[in-house]
Amino acid sequence: MRQRGGDGRGQYALMLAPYLVGLVGLVLLPAGITLALAFTDYDLIGPPVWNGLANLVELAGSDAFRTALANSLVFAVVAVPLRLVIALGLALLLHRRAPGVGTARTSAALPTAVPEVAYGLLWLWLFNPLYGPVNQVLRAGGENGLTVLGRTPPQWLTDPTDARAAIIIMSLFTVGESFIILLAARTALPPEVYELAAIEDATGWDVFRRVTLPLMAPVLGLLLLRDTVLSVQVSFVPALVVTEGGPPPYATTYLSLFVYRTGFEYLRYGYAAAATLVMLVLTGLAVLVQWRLIRRYRRWYGV
Amino acid sequence: MTDGGPPGIDQPGLELVGVHAGYGDTNVLRGVDLAVARGELLVVLGRSGAGKSTLLRVVAGLEPATRGRVRITGRDVTRLRPGRRDVSMVFQSYALFPHLTVADNIGFGLTVRDVPKAEARERIRKAAEAVGCEHLLARRPGQLSGGERQRVALARALVREPDVFLLDEPLSNLDAELRVRTRTELRALHDRVGTTMLHVTHDQTEALVLGDRVAVLRDGRIEQVGTPEEIWRRPATSFVARFVGSPSMNLLPANGPLPVPGVPPSATRQVGVRPEAVRLDDPQGVMATVERVEVVGEDAYLYLRLDGHEIVARVATVGRPESGALVRVTVRPVDAHVFEAATGQRVTEP
Repeated sequence: MRQRGGDGRGQYALMLAPYLVGLVGLVLLPAGITLALAFTDYDLIGPPVWNGLANLVELAGSDAFRTALANSLVFAVVAVPLRLVIALGLALLLHRRAPGVGTARTSAALPTAVPEVAYGLLWLWLFNPLYGPVNQVLRAGGENGLTVLGRTPPQWLTDPTDARAAIIIMSLFTVGESFIILLAARTALPPEVYELAAIEDATGWDVFRRVTLPLMAPVLGLLLLRDTVLSVQVSFVPALVVTEGGPPPYATTYLSLFVYRTGFEYLRYGYAAAATLVMLVLTGLAVLVQWRLIRRYRRWYGV
Repeated sequence: MTDGGPPGIDQPGLELVGVHAGYGDTNVLRGVDLAVARGELLVVLGRSGAGKSTLLRVVAGLEPATRGRVRITGRDVTRLRPGRRDVSMVFQSYALFPHLTVADNIGFGLTVRDVPKAEARERIRKAAEAVGCEHLLARRPGQLSGGERQRVALARALVREPDVFLLDEPLSNLDAELRVRTRTELRALHDRVGTTMLHVTHDQTEALVLGDRVAVLRDGRIEQVGTPEEIWRRPATSFVARFVGSPSMNLLPANGPLPVPGVPPSATRQVGVRPEAVRLDDPQGVMATVERVEVVGEDAYLYLRLDGHEIVARVATVGRPESGALVRVTVRPVDAHVFEAATGQRVTEP
């Protein structure tokens, strides 16, 4: 394209404008304001009052915040790898052409397409300790409302550990995006390397370990990063809709729900902003660590 | 191979008996019979779509034979899975693992078969030496040129010392100069290791230079099997005759415009004459017009109009007739090939 001085630049600016307006108005500006609010006391009625590090100090001493932080970390450490393993398993299972595979692929991707709140309400019913299908299945064969092993079925919504498990279980079915990406990545691998492995009489495990996994590692690394960032958000709606942050005191209050409650229910915007800042810094750190690991892997294998 | 003569088929390295293959209604192989002697290098030559790759894949077990048997050194392997057939294969794309070093690529088959590490290292080194890539062992495929990758793929096939060596157009991704050099090296390699080799190509020169024998494949059937010289001197069908040689052999009706002494005129037969056997120096010859001249270095191809037929003559560039000139054409009886027009079969003796 020919450069025509200010005229051409004006045109670029015009074409960039919609994106820039959105980025500045909806992301950068609120982020900046949040950063500033983190050091103030602000209840939406009076003007923000500067209070220095008081919010962060209060967070450090808050049981609710520490519980929320621990809940979020446990969720990320357990749910992120499990979600990736499930998505990979489904992708490897369903990448071949076979009768019914199209339906199976759709089923694997479908839960991700269900609106989050509806998905949450559905699980509220599924997890109902008395009438929910999950516990009805678990009680099958048992007597007096116990499982076949004679144990009490999980109290999904009232026992702290069971409730945390419930939120993680809910997240394991919404792996549609990762599944589709891994399906595409697997389909793109050259068939010859698998034929070669067959001629060399490699076992299924050897093929997975020595061929599939290393060749898909770059994509898996990318998804690991993305899912870690997402994990803070994935837990929000289930905690809000299904467990309401409980059972008390804060068994399924994750950072995102903590921020939401502090800000929009208790109207402590400055305090909520400080919690958001901590959440952001922790996510950033997790991504940084993983990124360095992936880079080391790539340098090691030269891929 | 024993003492230099053409290998006999009494010691079978690889046999295909009535092999059919294909998927659904498409029959890619339609009754292939082929016997490769132990230690022989047999080249399967055919156009794309003739079924060459399928033939190789059926031998490797990557595709099933719907009918017929495959035997390797006398063992029936028709129903065995690929890993149990003791074959190794060089793919057209080489199929190297990008995340493994050259040494690990060559040793892949040893690793998954749990060969002890020290022994594997020694065999990898020997295989790499045999193809001249021992200086590349620590590198990764991404750092290699096309020719080097090809060597690594060859070494990987060699390292297991299989019963049969399958090569799927291994030279087709190399540039012309490298292809000629690698062809020679491949032949030398075969003579050194003496393993039965089945080599597939669409390149007739490659087939004629490389093979102990050549099998010409057409539409899923073997058209002719023979030494390169037999294929060239006595093509069994008009298809083979025209497929091998460039420019292609001229085919004219046996009662047509170019009578050959000793070949009786016949409406049901065809006479084949290679371009280099068309002679222009006999004053008794048939009149023809030079329509077009193509000069290819030392050779010139003359496109001659001969009573409604076009034939090609290959002459020396020096002293070639000009376009539009009138020439006199003859063919010696020894240079004429006679085929049945309907079936394309060679007529042995008139």
